Amino acid sequence: MVDFFLEKFSQISWLTGLPDGILFVLAVILIAIPIFLFLAVNALVVVYAERKISAFMQDRLGPMGQGAGLHAGKWGLLQTVADTVKLISKEDIIPAAVDKKLFISAPFIFFIGSFITFVALPFNQTIVAANFNIGIFYIVAVSSVGVIGIILAGYGSNNKWSLYGAMRSAAQIISYEIPVALSLLTVVMLVGSLQMQEIIKAQDGVIWGFLPHWFVFKNPFTFIAFFILFISGVAEVNRTPFDIPEAESELVAGFHTEYSGLRWAFFFLAEYANVFIVAGVASVVFLGGWQSPIPGFLEGSGWGLVWFLGKAIFLIFTMIWFRWTFPRLRTDQLMVMCWKYFIPIAFINIMGVGLWDLFVS
Amino acid sequence: MRYFSNIWQAITTLLIGMRVTIVHFFKARKGIVTLQYPVERWPRPERNIGFSFDSYNVIRSRLHVDMDDCIGCLKCVRACPVDCIRIETFKVEKGVDIPEANHIGVTSQGTQKRLLVTRFDIDMTECCYCNLCTYPCPEECIYMVGGPNSSKHEIDYEFSEYDRNNIIYRFAKVPPEEVARRKAEKEMEKTAL
Repeated sequence: MVDFFLEKFSQISWLTGLPDGILFVLAVILIAIPIFLFLAVNALVVVYAERKISAFMQDRLGPMGQGAGLHAGKWGLLQTVADTVKLISKEDIIPAAVDKKLFISAPFIFFIGSFITFVALPFNQTIVAANFNIGIFYIVAVSSVGVIGIILAGYGSNNKWSLYGAMRSAAQIISYEIPVALSLLTVVMLVGSLQMQEIIKAQDGVIWGFLPHWFVFKNPFTFIAFFILFISGVAEVNRTPFDIPEAESELVAGFHTEYSGLRWAFFFLAEYANVFIVAGVASVVFLGGWQSPIPGFLEGSGWGLVWFLGKAIFLIFTMIWFRWTFPRLRTDQLMVMCWKYFIPIAFINIMGVGLWDLFVS
Repeated sequence: MRYFSNIWQAITTLLIGMRVTIVHFFKARKGIVTLQYPVERWPRPERNIGFSFDSYNVIRSRLHVDMDDCIGCLKCVRACPVDCIRIETFKVEKGVDIPEANHIGVTSQGTQKRLLVTRFDIDMTECCYCNLCTYPCPEECIYMVGGPNSSKHEIDYEFSEYDRNNIIYRFAKVPPEEVARRKAEKEMEKTAL
């Protein structure tokens, strides 16, 4: 996309006089603003959806507008907008005992960690901020930058609960990076490329006669790998059932206990951005990204966007579904699940995919 | 072997749980337990306290005043232990109706009123529901709603308001212009003396 904008700039006469550095920054900003807006809208919609879905699963109604002034609009549609306005207008509280520099910078580092991951996420055939040749490696690498923000927040808050949350979060994210990376490796083995667009293009056509040639259906080992990737992804974004860094029932609110107002909103924004990243990566790598579920039907760049977003939204719904179904795991159970179950299975998967590719297909 | 049965058990039990929630999600409109309170409300339960409640006011509901019967004697103000009743009166001709002040000269018991009650405020945030103000009232015009008085005024147990000012009940029916006019008249008389 940067190249695309630079090429466009070279055709505009009054822009060509500017130095290359400024043009590059301009192109990057033009890409960054839509991504930021997308993140904000994503957070608004997912928070609303989460509240509604959780309510329906518990036989409640969730946010509803009723009464004299239709408080939150019809069906509570304006609830998250009202929440946002409230968060923005709240007082910026910095407790006296915190380490000020770390405390202030932590939410932004956490947010940047999820923001830069979007750079490599392909939305359709053309919309991808940068089509790296190391796309998937980049995503695995930068998606764990956020843990620095969490640790800074926990350490800088000068609060026992925050520090506990931060330490747990570090342990959790470092552990679950491994099954994520190993599951992605199975696909990289099959495609022979780390580039996101190449991975999607490799999922073209039909398999087993009727199923789309997505890597979930490719062979039994990739099928398992998809679930390991997805569940580890849920664990990596600290959502219930794996919410031990936040642990509202034991650690107040974990690493963001001391935060309020806009800084807390940044944590929240980044968390929901991470949710989208996990869903997006899983749908790109295993569910064919912008490929149509019925091969040869409704293809093209516009439909590509629809298919990709549809798959991502379905996976986000599944994550919300997980959250409101499963009980929370204890710290040691979480580690057992990762080190004793996911990592061995992921290793077996890699071998299995290799052998299947050699002998069966 | 334990290892594999663990995995199998985890998958199957998680799937059972997920089935339960998704069934609830799709049947959402049927078994909703939320009551959208100001719009919908629970029906008031039938009361069964073991004896007839007509003679005994079980619910200490809110106070109500029939202003047409009030003679402005201030007995309820003196009885109130928390001083939540405020009354202001003006002297008027005995037993004569004053239509512009919504004043009726004779009460339902035949007493001729000597005073025009321009203010009768009860601050329900302070009221302690002790019922002491209702006993001294000579006209029986201040009473707790409900129980033996249920025929006089509709019972109400949820008197929440959006504005805190609305919890101060203002029973006086005299329009504010009329009050202002009478106040000015009184001032004039004072200065004349």
